[in-house]
Amino acid sequence: MIAQALFFYLSRSWKNRLMVRIRRMREPRYLVGGIAGALYMYFYFFRALHRGAYGAGRIPMSGEHQALIQSIYALAFLVFILMMWIVPQHRAALTFTEAEASFLFAAPISRRDLINFKLLRSQAGILLSSFIMAFVGRFGSHHFYSGWVGWWIILATFNLHTLGASFTLTMLMDRGMSTARRRLMLLGAIVVVFGGIAFWVRQTLPPLPTVQANRNAFNELARYAGHALDAGPLPYILLPFKLLLAPFFAITPAAFLLALPAALGLLALHYIWVVRSDVAFEEASLEASRKLAERVAAIRSGNWQAARKNQKAVRSPFQLRASGTPAVALIWKNLIATSSMITVRFWMMLIWFAVVGGVICRSMLQDGVNLAVTSFIGMIAGMSLVFGPNLLRNDFRQDLLAMDMLKTLPLRGWQVVLGEILAPVTILTAAQWILLILALVCCPPQWAQYPLPIALRVACFFAAAAVLPTVNFANLVIRNAAVLIVPAWFQLGRDGPRGFENTGQQIILAVGQTLVLVVALLPPAAVFTGAFFLVFYVIGPASAFLVAGVLAAVILVIEATIAIRLLGGVFERFDLSKEMLTPA
Amino acid sequence: MEAPPQIASATNAATLIDVVGLTKLYGDFTAVKDLSFAVRRGEVIGLVGPNGAGKTTTLRCLAGIIPPTRGAIRISGFDMAANAIDAKRRLAFFSDEPRLFDYLTVDQHLAFIGRIYGVADWKERSRPLLEELEIADKVDKLPGELSRGMKQKLVIACGLLHAPEVIFFDEPLTGLDPVGIRRMKNSILKRSREGAAILISSHLLHLLEEVCSHVLILKNGQKVIDGTLDEIRQRYSEQAGANLEEVFFRATGESKGDS
Repeated sequence: MIAQALFFYLSRSWKNRLMVRIRRMREPRYLVGGIAGALYMYFYFFRALHRGAYGAGRIPMSGEHQALIQSIYALAFLVFILMMWIVPQHRAALTFTEAEASFLFAAPISRRDLINFKLLRSQAGILLSSFIMAFVGRFGSHHFYSGWVGWWIILATFNLHTLGASFTLTMLMDRGMSTARRRLMLLGAIVVVFGGIAFWVRQTLPPLPTVQANRNAFNELARYAGHALDAGPLPYILLPFKLLLAPFFAITPAAFLLALPAALGLLALHYIWVVRSDVAFEEASLEASRKLAERVAAIRSGNWQAARKNQKAVRSPFQLRASGTPAVALIWKNLIATSSMITVRFWMMLIWFAVVGGVICRSMLQDGVNLAVTSFIGMIAGMSLVFGPNLLRNDFRQDLLAMDMLKTLPLRGWQVVLGEILAPVTILTAAQWILLILALVCCPPQWAQYPLPIALRVACFFAAAAVLPTVNFANLVIRNAAVLIVPAWFQLGRDGPRGFENTGQQIILAVGQTLVLVVALLPPAAVFTGAFFLVFYVIGPASAFLVAGVLAAVILVIEATIAIRLLGGVFERFDLSKEMLTPA
Repeated sequence: MEAPPQIASATNAATLIDVVGLTKLYGDFTAVKDLSFAVRRGEVIGLVGPNGAGKTTTLRCLAGIIPPTRGAIRISGFDMAANAIDAKRRLAFFSDEPRLFDYLTVDQHLAFIGRIYGVADWKERSRPLLEELEIADKVDKLPGELSRGMKQKLVIACGLLHAPEVIFFDEPLTGLDPVGIRRMKNSILKRSREGAAILISSHLLHLLEEVCSHVLILKNGQKVIDGTLDEIRQRYSEQAGANLEEVFFRATGESKGDS
């Protein structure tokens, strides 16, 4: 009866969740996202399966290398399992949703049924993870489905082992064994066992091959590692892990079927171990469920800061005076939200390191190496333009669920928009300027046959220093515009978008934002090009970079200012209740 | 505690909250329909109604969080549509769920609000407020380190820092302990005596009876009645001393559920 009720809850929950998603497709924004997501899934996963491209995507390797990879996997899993026994210091806790903990713990349900319920519920996640893993690691099975089953066995066994280990550790705690004593005993045993293996390797195997400019160095090393892993005591220790991995690594259907019974047997043994454990996990589970719910809520709201464990108060980046432009308070708030490191002293230290590091590079390295360092720094600065706005989200993307509070503030819409956007712009720009300082100091006076006089280098530095913040500004305006225009695609609240329709929405957003940015960059790029050639022929290259850079920056600032004004209007008309909240 | 000086109203008129024909639609659904009422200086009005009556939507429109579909809202003489900044500068809104920035400490919240509202002496003003609310020893704590009641108190401290003359409460007693409830009631009455116009939405009818001078009953987004407590009692009750609960059930046509 209990099992039926729990199965009813699980099956209906899955079905209802699916129905909600399907019904949501009636709204164009979800339908468009759904179509884009479905196309992505089709082209990335299913098309490959239908066309037999899965086997083609498999990483080719010899049988020897495949055996080595299997052994390395087994060794990695051994380390992972050992960590499960060494690291934990709290009592066993099964994480349930808060509703599940509230209803099920008070209900007449045995612990064994709760464990079975928990195991059954975890299957959806395990099946999805195995599906992805079967695609990501194609050097194992030839066939997708055997790879999927292979990964399912591995992950399901690990899931059971995590539970079993936590139950056993709790039992040891209840019998008076302290965490420190347990760790000492385990680490002692590990040192003895692995010390013995190292001794055997040293005594039995020839010395490690010297890796010089030898084309076969990798093969020699691989052969040596394979021998160390497949001879002596280590294979016996790794045997259970290899048995578990065997279905995934099976090359033929016959080998897969042959490997299956042992792997399933291990899985069955783990299951018996877990369900027969009788450990009181309810109290710790309640606490774990509460913390999980808080973290999930914080992550869904886009507030990764709050989702972090052990959140601590952060020093103010600067003294916020009581009078002055109110929007500065928003920048100040968002800088605090980013990190405790965002202080003037921290940035001054970074500038100092950049200058000293650059001087050391210039004095110790050859010009060719310095040029490579400068190019690398330039590449990082360029990448920061693309990835920086994704990493720094201390703007509307973070404050979407605090919109009620922002809307009650006596500020004009554009002031709020500007205040929200300037914090990530400031941080990104400061980081890029430091990279530019380093590049300026490192840059040699010659590039191939072209001379790079100091005036040219300094002009390029100032031109880039003027352009980068304005590009950051435009980029972040576009990203925040998306939040205000299609908040439901960002809203990560109680019923936020998830699933493949959300994947589709994110793809559309990324493409749309990139297109808008490209369009926004066209006028300044045109102005830069025109001004550069004009000044180049009239005055010279250094002045050309400087004038063109400053003019391009001015055009970008004008564009961004117009956009901020327009977005201010959008913010003032923004009706959160229409998008997210159930009307009262 | 000495009350800080309030910001001047647009006019000297006694009416601080003036709502005319407020309507809010969500697609085809009418959350609030053609609602009109006024709250004068020193009055405390209780907004009551069954779940889904439109109380929270009304409060959110009045606080400028969501735009009304139709109608006009004037706060201290300033039109919320045309002059939202001046209107918002004079009001405070306390939602049922304390909404705070997870990464700002208690003190940093007050500094932030001080700068936004231009409260030059926020430090001097906040000290007695925090002491009155009994969170003076929590200034360096983050919201995550506070209990729900303390978070509610911090929200109240932030809201009262700029001495608003119009105050909106949505279920103000949620999460407060008995001492906190007593203090909150006294605080509401004190602010009303000092001349603030206060609107409280609550299901706790006994609270409204204790602190409100007026009551507005909503049902299905429409006003059923508003007036002083005595006027409403006279209209909906056969007995002169009938309580608000009795009046509420008669006015809304809801059954008590115990008969």
